[in-house]
Amino acid sequence: MAMAAAFCLGGLALRHGERVNGVWLIVAAACAFSTGYRFYGKFVAARVLTLDDGRATPAERLRNGQDFEPTNKWILFGHHFAAIAGPGPLVGPVLAAQFGYLPGALWIIIGAVLGGAVQDFIILFASMRRDGKSLGQMVREEIGKAAGFTALITVLIIMVIMLAVMALVVVNALKGSPWGAFTIAATMPIAVFMGLYLRYWRPGKVLECSAIGFGMLLAAIFGGRAVADSAVLAPWFTLSALALAAALIVYGFLASALPVWLLLAPRGYLSTFVKLGVILMLAAGILFVRPQLQLAAFTRFVDGSGPIFAGRIFPFCFITIACGAVSGFHSLIASGTTPKMIAHEGHALPIGYGAMLAESFVAIMALIAACTLQPGVYFAVNSPAGVVGAAPAAAAATISSWGFPVTEAQMAELARDAGERTLFARTGGAPSLALGMARIFAGGFGSAGRALIGFWYHFAIMFEALFILTLIDTGTRVGRFMLQDFLGHMWRPLGRTSWMPGVVAASAAIVAAWGYLLIQGVRDPLGGINSLWPLFGIANQLLAAIALCLATTILLKTHGARYLWISAVPLAWLVTVTFTAALQKIFSPSPALGFLAQASQLEASLRAGAAGEKAATARTLLFNARLDAAVCGVLLLLVTVILADSLRVWIEILRGAEEPRLSETPFVPTQLGTEGL
Amino acid sequence: MRRLRRLGRLAWEVLRELADERPYQRGLKAQGRRHSAEEWRRFTERRYEARFKQPKCC
Repeated sequence: MAMAAAFCLGGLALRHGERVNGVWLIVAAACAFSTGYRFYGKFVAARVLTLDDGRATPAERLRNGQDFEPTNKWILFGHHFAAIAGPGPLVGPVLAAQFGYLPGALWIIIGAVLGGAVQDFIILFASMRRDGKSLGQMVREEIGKAAGFTALITVLIIMVIMLAVMALVVVNALKGSPWGAFTIAATMPIAVFMGLYLRYWRPGKVLECSAIGFGMLLAAIFGGRAVADSAVLAPWFTLSALALAAALIVYGFLASALPVWLLLAPRGYLSTFVKLGVILMLAAGILFVRPQLQLAAFTRFVDGSGPIFAGRIFPFCFITIACGAVSGFHSLIASGTTPKMIAHEGHALPIGYGAMLAESFVAIMALIAACTLQPGVYFAVNSPAGVVGAAPAAAAATISSWGFPVTEAQMAELARDAGERTLFARTGGAPSLALGMARIFAGGFGSAGRALIGFWYHFAIMFEALFILTLIDTGTRVGRFMLQDFLGHMWRPLGRTSWMPGVVAASAAIVAAWGYLLIQGVRDPLGGINSLWPLFGIANQLLAAIALCLATTILLKTHGARYLWISAVPLAWLVTVTFTAALQKIFSPSPALGFLAQASQLEASLRAGAAGEKAATARTLLFNARLDAAVCGVLLLLVTVILADSLRVWIEILRGAEEPRLSETPFVPTQLGTEGL
Repeated sequence: MRRLRRLGRLAWEVLRELADERPYQRGLKAQGRRHSAEEWRRFTERRYEARFKQPKCC
């Protein structure tokens, strides 16, 4: 396995100037992940965490038939994988492909085996040994109250940034697309129908109801083509980016305040099943079609001059791909439902470590899908109009001048096949991923496949938008609860989740926060992704740094310095990457990269006498650039507080000044057999 | 063939777990109750309350 991984990776790294088949990447990743799981994962399980199958887990000790319930490890694996697999591992690798396929692929493989999977595994283990406590509670108990409180605020800020950037991905995918907008709009009444079906007509029949919902979704995709072709209906669903952003903001507010059973829950079921189905289809499609990678191993944009987002390969490749390699958000899931359902401690290895590797595999597939596009097409779809020019001819000429030939006619034909008016400047990663997926799926139908590209493209867009919207509605609601919890300490009624004025005020505050960032992204002449995606990547990786601080503290308390490197090395890497990226985003002298430099440039244009609408836009952008710099700075400050508090605890332990005290629950022998688990 | 059947059954059980059908049945069994619209409502209220207080992964 190790030799096969090395052979394939070597082949990918050394065969420059030659088209490479996507299967090389699949084999390299599969073999590297298998080797990493078998040797590194098992080493961490046996020597470092010393998993003990004789010890009763919270699922056994606190068994109540619902939250705490010993569950078959493969069923729980599926449950955990479905919870951690979000849109991040699909979109991040697509954007990072601007550096070529190799940097992203290497980071996904190495980052997951040595960092991401280790983080998920240790946090899952820690929560399992503490009756399923959350990340914030564990940070408070193991590091200190200041770190715990700071972690809570950091999570809230990170969630707001995540919601904004994910909403922007949807907006960019649906703007000016009546087919896409109709399909996504149709998911709302479908979800409400499912909610009513489950509540009143067939309670408990979720799979049956989801199958009906899926049938209706397919009908909506077919119907979308008719809507796009209709002279009467098409204008109703041809929405500008601003109108879509406003619709999403209203949707987020309603979803946060409406009863969960009506919209959120049925949508969540549908989204989960569609997500798993599409991931399996993509895997089968890649193996069946075996597509060629059209993008080179490295592109000229490793120097930081990329059109999709500014910044050099280091550190920006490593924050652009967050969820596929190391994701802080996983630590919230690993300390949520999963630890309460693990039957035996040994199951934490396949569930914690294994599920992360499976998600990284999804990231590899997304990278392949994007890299199967012709480089000129990839850059035409992903480059903002502000960089390449708004007119198709100008954009095609600019991209061709970079050495990635593409023509206006070629893009027009592709747009026609996909059922879109244009595919130029469809930034955000979702449209190019959908195009790549559509070509792979259509490739399975031979010569008839081309006629199906439009259907598959919109199927892929529906799939991406569906689970991003699920993220947005749930995230807004969770943010509301967090804010109410926080505000309740200041004025008790605000903390009551059943008090309508408090619900409305907190929902409005959360929606306003991410909605503002979303509108800022929509108005950004550079497409928004350039500033918001790196901010999101930095925030997510900083959350991973918090989780790894906790992991390091636990390892230090358990073994002293012996196994410190297991979590300290990925922590040091993440701190280096995120702090470098954040400082560059704030202070870089290049206006394309640094927020403050961008602000100075805008200030200069205002001083030079910009007037009217141009001046108003410049003033808004100026404020936004300063706001982004401030948000980035606040995140750095918060994580520095947690790092400093962790360092204080580590030094005390290493000096022997403090007796290491773990907050694990005491050992209780298990009475559980292995039958069916 | 038997392996395939086992794999299919496992996949079906994963889907039932994700659909909350398995946890619901477990809950009914643990409390010695029978399925009804009211029971399902009670179950989902508690389940959704917990689920939608937890962040979703990006």
